[in-house]
Amino acid sequence: MTLELWVSILAGAVALATPLVIAGIGEGFVERAGRINLGIEGMMILGALAGVFAASLAGPVVGLAAGAAVGILLAFLMNVVVHRLHANEIVVGVAITMLGLGLSTYLFQLWVPSGRTNVSVETVPPTPLGPLADIPVLGPVLFAQSLLVYAAVLLLVAAWAVMRWTRFGLRVRAVGADPVSAALRGVRTRAVGARALLIGGALAGVAGAAITVGSIGSFTPGVTAGRGYVVLAVVIMGRMSPIGIALGALLFAFLQSFSLLSQSVALPLPSELYQALPYVVTLVVLVLTSRAAMRRAAGRARTS
Amino acid sequence: MSAATGARGRTADARRWIVVAGVVVAILVVSAALILFAGADPLTGLRGLVEGVSSSPYRVGELLVGAVPIAIIALTLIPALRAGVFSVGAEGQVTIGAILATAAILGLRGWLGEGAPSVLFWIAGAAAGAAGGALYALLPALLAVRWQVNEILSTLLLNYVAVGILGLSLRTWLASGEQTATPQSERLPEAAAIPDLIPGTRAHWGVVLVLVVAVLLAWWQRTSGSARLTVFASRPKLASRLGTTRARTIYGTMLVSGAGAGIVGWIQVAGVGERLLGSVAGGVGFSGIAVALLGALLPAGIVVAALFFSALAAGAVGMQSATGTVPSSIAEVIKGVLVLGVACIAAVQRRPAAVVAPAGEPAASDEPPVAGPGAGAPVEETAGLGTDAGEP
Repeated sequence: MTLELWVSILAGAVALATPLVIAGIGEGFVERAGRINLGIEGMMILGALAGVFAASLAGPVVGLAAGAAVGILLAFLMNVVVHRLHANEIVVGVAITMLGLGLSTYLFQLWVPSGRTNVSVETVPPTPLGPLADIPVLGPVLFAQSLLVYAAVLLLVAAWAVMRWTRFGLRVRAVGADPVSAALRGVRTRAVGARALLIGGALAGVAGAAITVGSIGSFTPGVTAGRGYVVLAVVIMGRMSPIGIALGALLFAFLQSFSLLSQSVALPLPSELYQALPYVVTLVVLVLTSRAAMRRAAGRARTS
Repeated sequence: MSAATGARGRTADARRWIVVAGVVVAILVVSAALILFAGADPLTGLRGLVEGVSSSPYRVGELLVGAVPIAIIALTLIPALRAGVFSVGAEGQVTIGAILATAAILGLRGWLGEGAPSVLFWIAGAAAGAAGGALYALLPALLAVRWQVNEILSTLLLNYVAVGILGLSLRTWLASGEQTATPQSERLPEAAAIPDLIPGTRAHWGVVLVLVVAVLLAWWQRTSGSARLTVFASRPKLASRLGTTRARTIYGTMLVSGAGAGIVGWIQVAGVGERLLGSVAGGVGFSGIAVALLGALLPAGIVVAALFFSALAAGAVGMQSATGTVPSSIAEVIKGVLVLGVACIAAVQRRPAAVVAPAGEPAASDEPPVAGPGAGAPVEETAGLGTDAGEP
């Protein structure tokens, strides 16, 4: 394997990690607040469709905004059903995912009837960052990416700052850590959880749009391919911290990029193995993190 | 006191009916809106839906064929869901079951030749399928018991791994050898096929199997084992004193659902497809979960719900041909709305089944349950994860 190949694998990994990071930041808020959003896959795929549709009319930025709008809409629906009608969060999440997958296919088939050529849109172009992009290896991997990648990094920093230093971030952490105490201190736990889910939904929608508008340029049914579930795993793996989420997303994306680019030249292993590898490794890391969490809990129990 | 409870009961009853009516209206409105959005007349669509299901005996047979896998998966999920173990891995377990069933049937043919008795083929296929599904469910169960890995996530990820295993199998050790557009296995021997139940249709003896499984589970639900699982869902520590430990519950319930899904894998190749194809699971796993919830975890309810789901899929194809513009994927949208509605209805039921209980019920804690709806206000805020609220 040559150096150029490794550089393109790493650059591809950074690009593929971007939607996972964006959705992961949102899900980080949701899980910090003690909730879980199993509807994330549905929000992502509907965001992916809305993104391409809006981008075909008004350009990629509007596409990303449309993705966010769809994600917020679904998160709002989920909030209403969970909080007003007291439905079970897990079942509602599964239902939202089914709804998103079904609706995206239905609307896509209405928009592009079978037999017609698929609509493709202009993707967000790569923007090299001046002289930084000329650094060997690091340049093309980190500094010649699309604006979306840089935006994801900024978002990561912003999420960390919000979680650490704002009143809202403190409330989210309080509600997730000990809801009863938080409620007794006057935090409106439900409102905080609802807001966290709206953030999670918006970012899931943007992440879906980032997959289509950001790199592929068109929508096909099932285009997210379970990446919403990977995001859930990545957030648990990264222990809900922005850095951990980014590292988890990069690990999955690296394996995916590796499987896409290396199977023709590298080890003559079956392609199916490469395709399944990211999911297997995600599961293995999930096991390792769960094990470590158990050890920590056991350690705390011993010392206290 | 009794007057107050009576009044509260009446308001709860009224609320229940309002929610049920609201869900029905919402489903009708969404369906009509979807059809109108496609530029068709809802009434034409409805006629197409009905014709798609009932216009000929063949269509009725297709309805049964479609309901069999969904019903078996949903029925065998009852114990897991009752115990609050939310396994979403049926899709992958169907796939692995189908691979092993195909391998067993083809292996048996290689050993005894084409003329082997059908009974042997059926037993080999069913046993291999069940074993495959159960083994594939054992892995997430082991991870959940040993290291508290969330079983929702592990089963979801394993579904994608199963797709890879299927693709690899169809290209290598189970490949047909013929040049085909999509990878597929060799055709199964005639004797291995599950015989037709109704002549002239594709409805096979799997329909009877559904009834057998439903009766078995209806009987099981009257046993103390079922009651202990319900206790486990709400008070794990009490359940463990009754002998129902976490490990035993997770292994037991996931093995049952895995074996059920694996048998569905066998039915899909031996009863419907006649060979193993890449599309063998085709979403029946997720439909199975939805149907289990829609049927309120009751065997009779699940059989009816499975027929309804299958009718929806068949009817949507009829609707597509009647209107010409409405894609048959409308069925998937309606299924999503249905499950959303089920979650709302479950929240106002008098005795909700464990897994569909509203968040905020003491799902997996050993705290005494709150006295009544009015007294539970602060606890209601502690909406947790439900299935793994016991974890750190």
